[in-house]
Amino acid sequence: MNKGLVTGGIIAVVIVGIVGAYFASTSTENSNQDVTRTHGAVSTAMGSSILGNPSALITIVEFGDYQCHQCYNWFHNTKPAIFENYVDTGKANFVFVDLAFLGKDSPKAAQASYCAEDQGKYWQYHDILYNSQESEIDNGWAGPERLKAFAFSLGLDMELFQSCLDTGKYSKRVQYNIDEAKKHGVKGTPGFFIVGPNDQQQIGGAQPYSVFKQVMDSMI
Amino acid sequence: MTNTLNLVFSNYDYIVMASTIFILMLVGLLIISEYIFLEPYVVSHIPSGTELGFSLIVILSGLSALVIPMNIYRIRILKSSKKKMGGGVFGSIVGASAGVCSCGPIGFAVISTFGTIGATASAFLTNFEIPIRMVAIGLLLLTYYTTVKSLKVECKINS
Repeated sequence: MNKGLVTGGIIAVVIVGIVGAYFASTSTENSNQDVTRTHGAVSTAMGSSILGNPSALITIVEFGDYQCHQCYNWFHNTKPAIFENYVDTGKANFVFVDLAFLGKDSPKAAQASYCAEDQGKYWQYHDILYNSQESEIDNGWAGPERLKAFAFSLGLDMELFQSCLDTGKYSKRVQYNIDEAKKHGVKGTPGFFIVGPNDQQQIGGAQPYSVFKQVMDSMI
Repeated sequence: MTNTLNLVFSNYDYIVMASTIFILMLVGLLIISEYIFLEPYVVSHIPSGTELGFSLIVILSGLSALVIPMNIYRIRILKSSKKKMGGGVFGSIVGASAGVCSCGPIGFAVISTFGTIGATASAFLTNFEIPIRMVAIGLLLLTYYTTVKSLKVECKINS
């Protein structure tokens, strides 16, 4: 065998290995950057990572705003039962996509969640936002200083987080998600698409668990 | 007070009018405040922590159903001026607009159409939803009181 060819092959394998290792080490954010990812007709490529069993038959796509009190109601009243019976059991998985439209702090809060994702803590940050929501929109609870305080409380690298938030690193990503929501006729938050093996069903508003159960059971 | 109520609601038309106002206002406000959903199934739901908002909607609808027919009676039967009805109608509109959830389709449409101004107005209605509804109930109670008082006087004069 040609010696040069073997050497070239070894070099190629080493380069591929190094590149692979690099992407694996920074994969927290990149794992979600499958730009072709769709659920049903909805592009969720710029939304959150998939929570739960990635090969589940059903995907629940939530379009939400961190300042929306109905999203808060759904997060606290309906989501726990859905997770207990469908996501934790592997029947369904969950994706969150931003429809940050309510106030000036809404897009920043959404961007902050992706800054947290850079450090592998998207879902913890998502939860902290919904647990810390106050009843008044734009009263400062989701202002830049509080967003940074939430990051600090999660033990994030503050230099990285602040740079990400202050430079608006994910502003286009959030805007893409808002455009995607409008494109698919989402008319408020929370808005849901329940995507099954053969069809998808839209649910508008913070509806009770019984509605989600009925829709998902009809798809399984 | 009971005599005044008997006077107005002894006429079957005013009972029908009051019932219609109550049902339309209650169902309408519960839909826009997202206590009732029509799709994909008709379902009603009072999330934990929103009981006060629900109660205020019921009170607002009940008071509107009481005050508006009484004022219409004053205008039609006693040929009184329409001025005193203003408070009741204004109270109902104020209360209803406070129920427009900014997260929901109406708030979304307002914000999408009017941008920052729409967002500010919508945020104001959401932030002060409970106080605004309480003010609306206060206005309706005041209108009820003045209507009963004026009905007593006007009925005495007319009789």
